[in-house]
Amino acid sequence: MALYLLRRVGQSLLTVFLTVSTVFVLIRLAPGDPATAYAGPLATTEELARIRAELGLDRPLPEQFLVFLRGLATGDLGTSYSFQAPALDVVLDRLPFTITLAVAAILLTTAVAVPLGVWMARRADTTRELGANIVTVAGQSMPDFWSGVMLLTFFAVLLPVLPASGFATWGGLVLPATTIAILQIALISRLVRREMAANLTAPYLTVARSRGVSERALVWRYAMGNSAIPVLTALGTRFASMVNGVVVVEVVFAWPGVGSLVVRALETRDYPLIQATVLVTAALAILVQLLIDLAYPLFDPRVRLGKKAAA
Amino acid sequence: MSTPLPASGPAGTAPPPGGAGPRPSAVTTRLLARAGATRRRRGARVKLWVGLVCTLLVVVPVVFARLLPLPDPTEQDLSQRRLPPLTDGHLFGTDQLGRDLLSNVLHGGQMSLTIGVLAVLVSGVIGLVAGAAAGYYGGWVDSVVSRLLEAQLSLPLLMMLLLVVALFGPSIPVITCVIAVAQWPEVARLTRSLVLVEREKPYVAAARVLGLRRAEILVRHILPNVVRQATIVVFLLLAQAVLLESALSYLGAGPERPFATWGRIVSDGQDYITTSWWLVTLPGLVIVLLVVGVNLLGDGLRDRTRRQAASRRRGPSPSWRDRATRKGTVS
Repeated sequence: MALYLLRRVGQSLLTVFLTVSTVFVLIRLAPGDPATAYAGPLATTEELARIRAELGLDRPLPEQFLVFLRGLATGDLGTSYSFQAPALDVVLDRLPFTITLAVAAILLTTAVAVPLGVWMARRADTTRELGANIVTVAGQSMPDFWSGVMLLTFFAVLLPVLPASGFATWGGLVLPATTIAILQIALISRLVRREMAANLTAPYLTVARSRGVSERALVWRYAMGNSAIPVLTALGTRFASMVNGVVVVEVVFAWPGVGSLVVRALETRDYPLIQATVLVTAALAILVQLLIDLAYPLFDPRVRLGKKAAA
Repeated sequence: MSTPLPASGPAGTAPPPGGAGPRPSAVTTRLLARAGATRRRRGARVKLWVGLVCTLLVVVPVVFARLLPLPDPTEQDLSQRRLPPLTDGHLFGTDQLGRDLLSNVLHGGQMSLTIGVLAVLVSGVIGLVAGAAAGYYGGWVDSVVSRLLEAQLSLPLLMMLLLVVALFGPSIPVITCVIAVAQWPEVARLTRSLVLVEREKPYVAAARVLGLRRAEILVRHILPNVVRQATIVVFLLLAQAVLLESALSYLGAGPERPFATWGRIVSDGQDYITTSWWLVTLPGLVIVLLVVGVNLLGDGLRDRTRRQAASRRRGPSPSWRDRATRKGTVS
């Protein structure tokens, strides 16, 4: 178990490191110059050269990378060009907003998608279920920027009951979380339906039913118990990808999270900020994945961590 | 194949297979399963037809945009700004620069669809090759591919895509490649699992006995058997590709020339949402219609093949056939 944990953490660190290094090289290979974005269009050649020297951008790439690595080891990811503050702090300031949004969205998703999926599984292949099925397909087909703007128009402009943007009150959380949840509910409920439908027709359920187990226990304890792992995995993966910054939704609702930060950092070619964001979000996503893997034995006693599982 | 159900409540309504409520004893699980299969077939058919209609409703006008009697999409007329739909021959109205919205949507759609189809082709090829190699050769090839698949799952995907597009410029090849890279894991994972099953079948052993090289067996014998099943995800991938492209373009990382694509049209119209609802609503509805259609097509096709596979497995005497095929796939 300890060995397994050690190996997984090692693997995770390696993935994060490779990601950050890739991004480091990628942004420097690409055309475009942060000094121009930094100094504005009116800057003279001398000014640009001075700024480049100041930011350390005139040094060769391997040297820049070494400086970056040294900073990484001490937790110093450089100063953001546009915020004039330590890049890591800028990202960490924004992170709570993104996490709040992700938690709200995943809670909403779970609360709707699991009962919906169970309902669809129990009514599998009926006309009503076909209708619900087509509705979930529609939910999965809406571009999130569009459904966001539509919700915004209805509930903030035409019928001003909820704030349109930002995060001043808890009400501001409703629209962005709903926008994200629409897609997730569609995906997760279909997964729940598939898993549950397989379990509901399994022979062990017939046996349990003939022994007089109540219908509720059959569905929620027997069948759900056996569907829990794939559903949890999917929820976890979804959550991890949300923590990465729900870029589009954050932009639509002017949410002060990591996603909208990235868009801005890319526009201004803010190298340290891009690197810090990628580092933090990748690390967080991988951490969430790891936690989910570690939680498997809680839901299925057959799972032994560290044993070669079916990959 | 519809079997009359012996006396079970009102005509045509069988109790749900989940078993809510008392079940008449004459109805066996087998009958229920068969009734379910019939309904499933109907469901797949409904999905296929609805999907086809929705898809064609968007694709046909987009493909023939140039032949339709529409105003030029780039023609600006500032005296005709933001006309509501159905005025003066502007079916979708006009935008903030007086351009015909429908014409813009259709011409932009050509770009979106081209990028979507190209991206699916590229990701399909990458996914097929990588997945087949991983499934067939196993060993280090498999671990490299599997690691890559895993890594991509945990990466901030849209962020990376934005990064690449922001850095290398929003040209069609860049966007196509970016979307293809985002999508190949889906194909690769499916192909890998199909090849894993296929390579244990007797004909592969026979081919090996005949002295064929491994690569030859993979390309000439295994792949043809796998491709058909693997291509079912094509529709689902296309739907995703269209959505991804529109998201990128919404964020300002879409192609600009010669025409702005759907996401860009929506984001431009967003500033006028309080006064001109159609600028956002109608382009968005076009995207939804297309993606719903393509998704339903993909879903229906998948249901149908799954059903065919299931009925092939059932056959005349279920228990015997079942055991035979199961042995065939496992051993």
